[in-house]
Amino acid sequence: MTDCPNGEVRDLLPDLLHDRLPSDTRREVEAHVRDCEDCRAELELLRAMRASLRRGPSVDVAVIAATIPSYRAPVRRSWVGWRAAAAIMLLAAGGTSVALLQRGSVVSRDTTSVLAPVPQSTSVGTSTDSSLPERAAAVAPAACELALGSSAIGDLSDVELSVLLKDLQTVDVLPSEDDENTAGMSSALPTGTE
Amino acid sequence: MSDPAAGIPGRGDRTDLDLVARWKGGDERAAAELVERHAASLSRFVVSLGKRDDVEDVVQETFVRAFGSIDGFRGESSLRTWLFTIARRLVLDHRRAERRRGEQVEVQDGDVRTEFDPLDTLVADETERRMRDAVARLTATQRQVFGLRVGEGMSYKEIADSVGTTEGAARVHYHNAMRAIKEFLDD
Repeated sequence: MTDCPNGEVRDLLPDLLHDRLPSDTRREVEAHVRDCEDCRAELELLRAMRASLRRGPSVDVAVIAATIPSYRAPVRRSWVGWRAAAAIMLLAAGGTSVALLQRGSVVSRDTTSVLAPVPQSTSVGTSTDSSLPERAAAVAPAACELALGSSAIGDLSDVELSVLLKDLQTVDVLPSEDDENTAGMSSALPTGTE
Repeated sequence: MSDPAAGIPGRGDRTDLDLVARWKGGDERAAAELVERHAASLSRFVVSLGKRDDVEDVVQETFVRAFGSIDGFRGESSLRTWLFTIARRLVLDHRRAERRRGEQVEVQDGDVRTEFDPLDTLVADETERRMRDAVARLTATQRQVFGLRVGEGMSYKEIADSVGTTEGAARVHYHNAMRAIKEFLDD
């Protein structure tokens, strides 16, 4: 069996066999096949092959059809659901942030306990020792530098710590962070300041 | 042209898309009609993929999956092509599962066993037996492409989508298969 040199027509023979050609193309191909012995032979072979290929295993159509479920329209997610999800996310993120902030304040408490009360000591100092405001102001930046230069007191070197403690001893009016101690301090304040 | 399976209306036939719409509207018979329309060609395709056992199970699973996700079918290809694509993936999944269980399921190119072995006893005609032998000697991909092109009348585009190749490659596979079959039959 030889091949027709017209590859374009040979390519369309299966479509002709299955009646899948537009009418004008079909007429052209049919006209070619009428005059081409090779294409006629190939078309006959294709017809026989189709019959052979179509003898496949039998399947029970009724059984398969019985397993097809009824149609279910897709469920669309409502905006209410999205809002609830967003609220939960925000709450989770907020809770995490608060927890982190609280942890951070514990770590920085050692440093802020040195720095925060400085203005109060200044106000107290004015009534007792006029040199204290200047000293406190002089100490505070040094302590601030030390404290801010490190992430925590524990990160300071021994030399830095001793310098810091020495300076702090001179500012004995610094209140504690503790409210109770602060209350005690205020009671110990000279009456003249109140 | 009158190929309802391809979505082309003709002679008053309802297209696949019509039937899908009717099934979505609650007409269960439309699903049965679609199964009747495509089950046989799907089973042949499954066999051509090298699946010899549980063919009906694969076909059934293909329909269940297809109908279960029918809203994912956007009509860019024909429903038949979509079904064939699902069937092919299922066969590949089955093959992988069988491999994991240590079963030998490789489909060798040039496998001389025909995919319709159980029917061999029914084949009395010598010419047809030789045609089946010729198809059986094709490579796995040639056999799939040839079966879809000649047995099902698919376009190269549909074949490419179903088999997972390109139109150009599908065309080459078809013509190589045709040449090999002619050579075998001429011997």
